Amino acid sequence: MKVPAIPSATAVLAVWWSVLAGCASAQPASDDHANHEQPGKELVVFLSAEAHNISSSGSTETLNEDAWFAADIVLALTRDRFRLFGEYLLTTEEHDLERFQLGYELVPNTLIWLGRYHQPASAWNTEHHHGRYLQTSVTRPSVELWEDEQGIVPQHIAGLLVDSRRPLGESAGLQVSVGAGLGPRIEEGKLEAFDLVDPHESGRHVSWTARLAYLPDYAGQSSFGLVAAHHRIPVVDGSIVNLPQTTEVQQDVYGAFINWYADQWKVVAVVYDIRIDLRGPGTSRREHFVAGYLEADRQLPNGFTAFGRIEDSGNARNSTYLAGNYPDFELRRFIAGLRWDVRPRHAITLELARGETIRARQNEVRLQWSAAVP
Amino acid sequence: MKRLLYAFAAGLAIWLGLARPAGAEDRLLLLVSAESQLTALSSLEVHRLFLGLTVVVNDQRLHALRNDSDELMRRVFFQNIVSMSESVYDRRMLALTLQQGRAAPTVLNNTRAVLDALAADPDAVSFGWAVDVERDPRVKVLRVLWRR
Repeated sequence: MKVPAIPSATAVLAVWWSVLAGCASAQPASDDHANHEQPGKELVVFLSAEAHNISSSGSTETLNEDAWFAADIVLALTRDRFRLFGEYLLTTEEHDLERFQLGYELVPNTLIWLGRYHQPASAWNTEHHHGRYLQTSVTRPSVELWEDEQGIVPQHIAGLLVDSRRPLGESAGLQVSVGAGLGPRIEEGKLEAFDLVDPHESGRHVSWTARLAYLPDYAGQSSFGLVAAHHRIPVVDGSIVNLPQTTEVQQDVYGAFINWYADQWKVVAVVYDIRIDLRGPGTSRREHFVAGYLEADRQLPNGFTAFGRIEDSGNARNSTYLAGNYPDFELRRFIAGLRWDVRPRHAITLELARGETIRARQNEVRLQWSAAVP
Repeated sequence: MKRLLYAFAAGLAIWLGLARPAGAEDRLLLLVSAESQLTALSSLEVHRLFLGLTVVVNDQRLHALRNDSDELMRRVFFQNIVSMSESVYDRRMLALTLQQGRAAPTVLNNTRAVLDALAADPDAVSFGWAVDVERDPRVKVLRVLWRR
């Protein structure tokens, strides 16, 4: 969502970041406390710059994630069991407080968060969030796009999130995340997430999201699991293109994912079953489609990583909702690329893609520099 | 011929002796404050602690302090304690912050600072070469993490 540069929004933003900065610089109340609390803080900025060429036979809209420059500022503060976390994204296209969460660690590795967070039912976004340096490919799969980038699934929720990692047997683990909070609205045909800086909460409903993952190694990165989400999304301006009498869109998402890390290989496979119910006075239209992707990354010598991704969908072409409101949703796409980690925390990535949307076919070439500082 | 062999053997012994670092550097010790109630920590717990996960033992929430004093210690840390390459560990720590809002373990680049930090925090866990730490009464050795 684009934040208009209005004084009140800026003032609210200044307050949020002052709170963070104040906590970051705060001293312990006494030396005795200092001995046991060990405050920790981490400030990381993920930077990226991109040049691209996209040939399209139909679409005239700028494709997603194509801002030529992006800075994702992440600040994490830890004090004993408390956490304060903020993520602010600044690009040539938008600036937005993406996440702002206050957390408390109930028991070891089980946290309860309050604030605006990324919903845990997205397999990709819970891994990479807005930090482009941490994803191998330049682009994210179409089904995982953010709301303000023509994303079809709500990704930002404002409310409560419980995230727990528990041991299972000697070395395995189980990760459970459950979130409930204010979901998006549909305005001007697109999802509009709840914005902490410029809140418009009227008409919003509670969204539910959940993720259950088995971790073969409790401290490792591999995971296999299931996700589910339920959203009731009010349409505030009759902007469902093919069914303008729609006043509410109900969306249910069920999915399964695999994140598999082994030596030089990383494989991510995800499939979502998305059910849409378009509701209006005296009308209801139900449709569903399947979308998924498979990405494989292979590390090569000298800091190179080769990667490829297949995105595909089933029945999405027949969706009235997608055809009217998301004509640039990628029905299928093939991606191949090469990433070169030039030096620590700096990478250059070349990505070639051939995609097909409801209204066009296109070839995409992207060259990206990404980094994490310090 | 015998003289030549003796000379060769002596030369080899001297060369090997010179090539090795100080003998006391052969042991990397797991350390806590002398005031800590902690008496043992398993390899798995050490591994999880330095990967940024919360580890609680006997109601003590432990804090990892990474000693990054020299190149050999760094190599032992990546190979034996966290069992991954430096670049993979770095990405894990970035992901830790991005995914879980956690700060990565504090890194100190000299053992003196590590010993001071351990002395000030009974919940802190770190490591150091035996030669640098064994005579410091402020710290307690839990076990040997690595020996040559």
